[in-house]
Amino acid sequence: MAVYRRSSRPRFTLLLVVLTSITLLTLDQRGSGFGVVGTVRDAARDAFAPVQDAADAVFSPVGDFVQGALRYGEVEDENGRLRAQLAEREGELLRARDGRREQRALLDQQDLSFVDDVPTVASRVVQRSDARFGQTIELDRGRDAGVAPGMPVVTGAGLVGRVVDASGRRSTVLLVTDPTSNVGVRFSLSGDVGVAAGRGRGSSLRVDLVEPSSVVARGEILVTSGLEHSAFPPGIPVAQVRAFTATTGALQQDVTAEPVADLARLGVVKVLQWSGR
Amino acid sequence: MSPASRPARVATLLLLALVLQHSLLVDVRVAGVSPDLLLLVAIGGGIVGGRERGAVVGFAAGLVADLLAQTPFGLSSLTFGLVGYGVGTLQAGVLRLTWWIPLLTGMAATAAGVMMYALLGALLGQGYLLRPELAGLAAVVGLLNAGLVPVVVRATGWALSAGPDQAFAR
Repeated sequence: MAVYRRSSRPRFTLLLVVLTSITLLTLDQRGSGFGVVGTVRDAARDAFAPVQDAADAVFSPVGDFVQGALRYGEVEDENGRLRAQLAEREGELLRARDGRREQRALLDQQDLSFVDDVPTVASRVVQRSDARFGQTIELDRGRDAGVAPGMPVVTGAGLVGRVVDASGRRSTVLLVTDPTSNVGVRFSLSGDVGVAAGRGRGSSLRVDLVEPSSVVARGEILVTSGLEHSAFPPGIPVAQVRAFTATTGALQQDVTAEPVADLARLGVVKVLQWSGR
Repeated sequence: MSPASRPARVATLLLLALVLQHSLLVDVRVAGVSPDLLLLVAIGGGIVGGRERGAVVGFAAGLVADLLAQTPFGLSSLTFGLVGYGVGTLQAGVLRLTWWIPLLTGMAATAAGVMMYALLGALLGQGYLLRPELAGLAAVVGLLNAGLVPVVVRATGWALSAGPDQAFAR
């Protein structure tokens, strides 16, 4: 009898661990992230923020060194590519100024407005999510600075994503490349609308619901559509059309587009304090 | 000076692991993934302390990981608890035979833990965790964690060594 009790104790402990975990999962699901569990998580996140900042200051040189060593070959190739691109960009600078004027004129014609008048919160990217957990970044500003879930996040180039979670001092942003991200877009030339869906890290966006009759141009800029109930204000550049094919008999065109913001190298971003119409 | 109690040592280890995970290791990226130190502490608990302590340390490590995760609260504690228990079950048989077996166990258990996490997450409605490249990512995390096994096993051994408080786990 004694032998039976001793050997069954680890199994009882395991059962306790499983049942407690399931209880926590149920509490979290019932509160949809905003109940007791959400409050505890927000408090932990805020309490950990200064520790993380201090540890970052100590460890970031070590992390940079390790990262540099792991990516040495990649960095060397990138340097070569960047030198070539720099020469190219210098030549494109004048053309770009003209292009910007042209794009502005096109958007004005379609009665789209930029978001210059929306207040913003400048934030530093403190962490990128692990590739296992989707495409998110963490910002060093939260509710205390006026950041709230649902707000769009941009760089000077265009849309980065939207805030999905915010504690007092931190916020999480779902990038437009995340497989669960969908952004309503408008083609800047034709004015047709579609939905830009993320396909994961390093992949281009897939633009759905583009009618076969729509005229699409390679290099065309897609901007947020701002249709009713849209999660984003109109006119934010999202992506540039990379390829498109219209198959006979298909219900929609296959369009892929490259995000205009450089999502692999985000340092400082702006949160637009926009909460719908 | 009396030794610190076992729960206090485990709590210290978990806090240190959390800080290191979110400051130093988060920058160590191979194929987009980092080592998973808290999962490794759960595995270390199983290697050093057996299945019961493995389950308890795994559960505690998972709770700490859940605090800063975006996934459902309780998913890490469930997964890490099961992994700690599983590794602890193996520990009774073969783990102490040679030096490389814990390394191999750390690698395989990490990969299994990453897969189990995604699978349980998908069952809870987080289907995005089950991505096509998951097996490859799990293998990379396993390899990265294998390099940390000696340090983590030593640290977990210190945390679980006999103290005045015997009530934590046996």
